[in-house]
Amino acid sequence: MSTDGSLSGKRFIVPIGPQHPALKEPGHFSFTVDGEVVTDASVRLGYAHRGIEKATESRNWTQSLYLLERICGICSHVHALAYCLGVEKLAGVEVPPRAQAIRVLVAELERIHSHFLWLGVAAHEAGFDTLFMYTWRDRETVMDILETLTGNRVNYSANVLGGVKFDVMPEIGDTIRRGLEFLEGRTHHYLEVVTTDQVFLQRTRGVGVMSLEQAETLGVVGPTARASGVIRDIRVEAPYAAYADYPVQPVLAEAGDLEARFIVRIKELFESYRIIRQILDTLPVGELQTRMPRRVKAGETVSRVEAPRGELFYFIKSNGTDNPERVKVRTPTLCNMASVLVTAVGHQLADMPMILAGIDPCFSCNDRTVVVADAGGAAYNWEQIRHYGIAFYQGK
Amino acid sequence: MDVLRTLFTLMIFPGGLFILFNGMVYEWADRKLVARLQNRVGPRWFQPLADMLKLLAKEEVVPASVDARLFIGLPVIALAGVLTAALYLPIAGLPPAYSFPGDLIVTVYMLSLLTLCTGIAGANTNNRFSLVGATRTLTQLFSYEAPFMLAMLGPAVAAGSWQIDEVMGYAAEHPVILMQPVGFVIALIGLMGKLEMRPFDAPEAETEIVAGAMTEYSGRGLALFYLGRYVELIAGLTLVAAFYLGGIQNPLDYFVKTLALLLVLVGLQTLMTRLRIDQTVGLWWRYGTLLVLLQWFVTLLLRS
Repeated sequence: MSTDGSLSGKRFIVPIGPQHPALKEPGHFSFTVDGEVVTDASVRLGYAHRGIEKATESRNWTQSLYLLERICGICSHVHALAYCLGVEKLAGVEVPPRAQAIRVLVAELERIHSHFLWLGVAAHEAGFDTLFMYTWRDRETVMDILETLTGNRVNYSANVLGGVKFDVMPEIGDTIRRGLEFLEGRTHHYLEVVTTDQVFLQRTRGVGVMSLEQAETLGVVGPTARASGVIRDIRVEAPYAAYADYPVQPVLAEAGDLEARFIVRIKELFESYRIIRQILDTLPVGELQTRMPRRVKAGETVSRVEAPRGELFYFIKSNGTDNPERVKVRTPTLCNMASVLVTAVGHQLADMPMILAGIDPCFSCNDRTVVVADAGGAAYNWEQIRHYGIAFYQGK
Repeated sequence: MDVLRTLFTLMIFPGGLFILFNGMVYEWADRKLVARLQNRVGPRWFQPLADMLKLLAKEEVVPASVDARLFIGLPVIALAGVLTAALYLPIAGLPPAYSFPGDLIVTVYMLSLLTLCTGIAGANTNNRFSLVGATRTLTQLFSYEAPFMLAMLGPAVAAGSWQIDEVMGYAAEHPVILMQPVGFVIALIGLMGKLEMRPFDAPEAETEIVAGAMTEYSGRGLALFYLGRYVELIAGLTLVAAFYLGGIQNPLDYFVKTLALLLVLVGLQTLMTRLRIDQTVGLWWRYGTLLVLLQWFVTLLLRS
């Protein structure tokens, strides 16, 4: 329960989170409501801060890869990919084209599983549990493909610095093609459901509208931006890995409402199917890895990839040792979060879970720091809190 | 002996234990069928019973800010209301335990008591989710109650009696469902509203307001509210089947017709997305009420 705004006062605040059935991860939203209509919204993040960025500094380049892959439980591959691309750029290592193509292959498979997952979650927020259960059942197909391919369902660990760990054999290619065929049929069906089910449309059409101007101003990324007509896709704007060889057609929608976000994400699935098939057909021959130096030359770089949720941004700084000096991660959820607060105002409380789900939030990925609003006394600076921490654990 | 018979009627059959168990079985059927249609496994056959036993055995936490008497009393009143309603219904295909001219009105009223109690229970607590849930519960009550009641009274008007027994006798001889198809649909959908089944589950939409008016309830209070809802499911199905599906003559008749209706409810629940509360109100007042009034008008014209 939020403490500001008592029940007798004019402001009636409905708190959603940090613990709430609508949220699968902790985050706190305060919606000020007038009856059912939301008049103000605010967010507080940081409940799932895990200190991963800091932890990379005490691990070597290879160890950090495994740590960073665990930032997100859904889009784990893109984190590893962004990190690898950045470090390889710093080290001046050229990755073989076959490895780059396999990286893209896994990234697109991951996008399929992420979008299917989102479709289910969004349907659940709207109270359409049948769609939820069906999409998650079908999602198992792509999970199985990923497991067959990499040995893991979630943290595929496909990347190593300088390449990938496994090869794509022709027989696996056939398995993938069969799975995609099934998924493509299901995707057509879901597209039909979200665009023709009248009851469902009542909950999505015209809800949470974000205009092109708003989207530009708020700096939203990924499918959220593309649903408002903004062409923002790193795969198109700055092709990385093998995307230059396998060009992506960005999927756009004009409406900017929840329906558009459904349509964009579902249509992106078709694009992913197409790219995966193309990669399977024209996989370059060659090595899977190049040799990577243990120490990375001093310098700093930025690496961007298109995660299923939008632009994933990595800043990596090396001081020439075998540990990173600094790794900064900015996940797409952070860019999109402001749009929730803006689009929420004027809508009904019942629309809030869907508007929130519309950006496909991933809280623990985007939590980077803890802000203590009121420490209730003297505040520590960094050195003091470090000493306090050391003293605390020594005292135990 | 008369006292014993009355006690048996109230406590064991058809009131009391029988209808509670009947309600739990139907609730299980509902949950299981919805689950199977949604590609889930669903609960085992004793799950509602296990839930009830567990809840009834648990401590009831009374929040600090509530009126304790209301908090504890409301679930009891709610359950008592629906159990009373069941006494006037042909439960299990046997003649109603009690009957008097005008018992239809009493029954429909008693069936609303549960929703009313839920609303008051939510408003009684200081929890924000409960308050929003209570507002929604009561708003929804006012939207479906009138059309539902009119739909229930439709066959009564045609039969020219306010007594459930007599309306049922009329229904056995006339194809009411063909004469008043709109009334049937409204009654069935109104029943879904009463039971807060999807798409009318906005009052307890978990992704928005956790458990709505029930958020602060635990243990016995929650169990009694749930039991009330199970009984209401039975009572509602019986009422609709008795009025629109040609009456209920024997136990087989009863189970076949009520389960058939339950199957329809399951299908609708599976297909639908939750409606916002304003959409629910709009649906009922814009279409439901007008249609059922039109139906009344036609019925009255045909009768005279």
